[in-house]
Amino acid sequence: MIDAIAPVRLALIVVFGLCGLFFTFVSMTGVLRLPDVYSRAHTASQADTLGAGFTLAAVALAAGWDGAGFKTVLLLFFIFVTNPTAAHAIARAAFEEGIVPWTEGDERR
Amino acid sequence: MADGGGLGPKGGSVVVPIESTPTLRATVTHLVESAADGEFSAIHFVVFATWREGDPEAFDREASVDRLLERVSTWAEADLADVDDVDVGDVAVATTVVGGDEYLFGADDYVRELVAYADDHGIEHVVLDPEYTPVGNTTLLQSLEFALSRTDLVVREAPVARPTRRERLRKEATGIRFAAIFGLSLAFYLALGDPFYPFDVVTGVASATIVAVTLSRVSLDADPSLARTPMRLLRGAVYVPALLFEILKSNVVVARVILDPRMPIEPTLNRVRVIVGSGLPVTTLANSITLTPGTLTVRARDGNLYVHSLIPWARDGLFDGSLERWTRFVFYGREAARLPTPRERDDVGIFQGPDATEEYPGARADGGSEREDPSAASSAANDRDDDSDTADGEVTAE
Amino acid sequence: MSVVDAPLAAGYAVEDFLLVVAAGFVVLAIGMLYRAVKGPTMQDRVLAVNVLGTNTVVILAILGAALGEPTFLDIALVYALLNFLMAIAISKFTVERGGVL
Repeated sequence: MIDAIAPVRLALIVVFGLCGLFFTFVSMTGVLRLPDVYSRAHTASQADTLGAGFTLAAVALAAGWDGAGFKTVLLLFFIFVTNPTAAHAIARAAFEEGIVPWTEGDERR
Repeated sequence: MADGGGLGPKGGSVVVPIESTPTLRATVTHLVESAADGEFSAIHFVVFATWREGDPEAFDREASVDRLLERVSTWAEADLADVDDVDVGDVAVATTVVGGDEYLFGADDYVRELVAYADDHGIEHVVLDPEYTPVGNTTLLQSLEFALSRTDLVVREAPVARPTRRERLRKEATGIRFAAIFGLSLAFYLALGDPFYPFDVVTGVASATIVAVTLSRVSLDADPSLARTPMRLLRGAVYVPALLFEILKSNVVVARVILDPRMPIEPTLNRVRVIVGSGLPVTTLANSITLTPGTLTVRARDGNLYVHSLIPWARDGLFDGSLERWTRFVFYGREAARLPTPRERDDVGIFQGPDATEEYPGARADGGSEREDPSAASSAANDRDDDSDTADGEVTAE
Repeated sequence: MSVVDAPLAAGYAVEDFLLVVAAGFVVLAIGMLYRAVKGPTMQDRVLAVNVLGTNTVVILAILGAALGEPTFLDIALVYALLNFLMAIAISKFTVERGGVL
């Protein structure tokens, strides 16, 4: 029984780990390439949350529920709640400071 | 000089050094009202240039200062239009950048520049924004006032208060809120520790008590309802996989846009009026919108969400309102979910880009136009609460 | 039950794979550091540091599992909390100039 699901579990660990790396790479690319705070906040909150989510899921699978897995799931949940909130707070601060979002044709980068 | 109406002598000009502060809006209103009462005949808003011509960043900073001055003169015009008994022509409003030839170091440098400017324009009065600190140096204001007091200029501080929401945070303390917070924090503590180890139990009870005493009045604004909470949790359990799928789907789309070397983004700021309750429902919705790639909640006020969208595809998804529908479903059940979408209700607006339908809202420029009663000027800035005052569109289920 | 020691492929175990992923995260973190240094606005920096913090949390969690150090996860939890608090506090501070609450 355990032997039957073990390969699936290992495969899932690898897939989730690689997905996590990929989305974090997207997040980094976005943070580096996008033109203004608001669009950077997009990737910071979303791609990064998903990347962290996938990787933590891989960690939780590897660690098993009885060990560190529970805390990893807690951490995953926590990141999913706090990351968008933090991005929203930062975007709101930028808005309050009067930073106008970049639009097509704007030279500022 | 006296003009018969008993208003006293028509005052001279006033110079106001400004910077982007939370109290700037109220300071402008105060000055215009003082001018309307005949205290001043001209208002000069000045910004000290803290850079020198030819600095590497001079261009950027000049542009941001120009934006600030533009905003201030718009506010002043709006306020002048509101004051009935003064023609706009009567009070002159000028905006200038002073300095720029040399670096300004201490309060004395600023005062020297200010006095020189005042002399040039025959100005005798200075009004300070209470939050004003040149170059963000928080210790400078006191000494600036001190240095100004040694000159011939008449100095006073604008009587406007810093926006604070301290009293808003405190809610009523009730037994059930206390119990809810206590239970939650104890459960969290024991989940991290070992529920069967007496030391953890004792310290857990102690810290949960502290948390509940200090925070039960802050963190909940309504009693958690025993009848509704389990149903909400159940429906939430249905929502989470749906949300995860949504996140995954749009993440792939956005990832392609970002990794594309041409990067065909078309970011705009949009407004969408949502009909969910205040507090937790609107927080859930705003967080879901932010989690879904391509859309980012920038601001929530009066039931309106200001959402920044990266690509038109994400904006259309937002206006179709599937997340809003889900949130209503989670919090109020199936009937509430069937309301029309924001697009059908025509409760949407685009502020930027080629499809723009509404004017871009300045950060705090709304104080001028939305104001119905005079006292709201200072409370307008007070109003930027995320989720506790969005109650207009409250959905009442059952 | 942990499968960290289970063989994966070509003689490498799951823990080796996790360590490689952690190394990848470190490399990505270096890329993000550019934004934290470059700015140009304060919000950009806060955002970059927030993303870096999330990265650090993930790296800590991976190392905790791969090296068999469950205490790393507690550190990761506290780090995530502080990271969130940092972003909120700085954002509120820049808007309200000291009126954090």
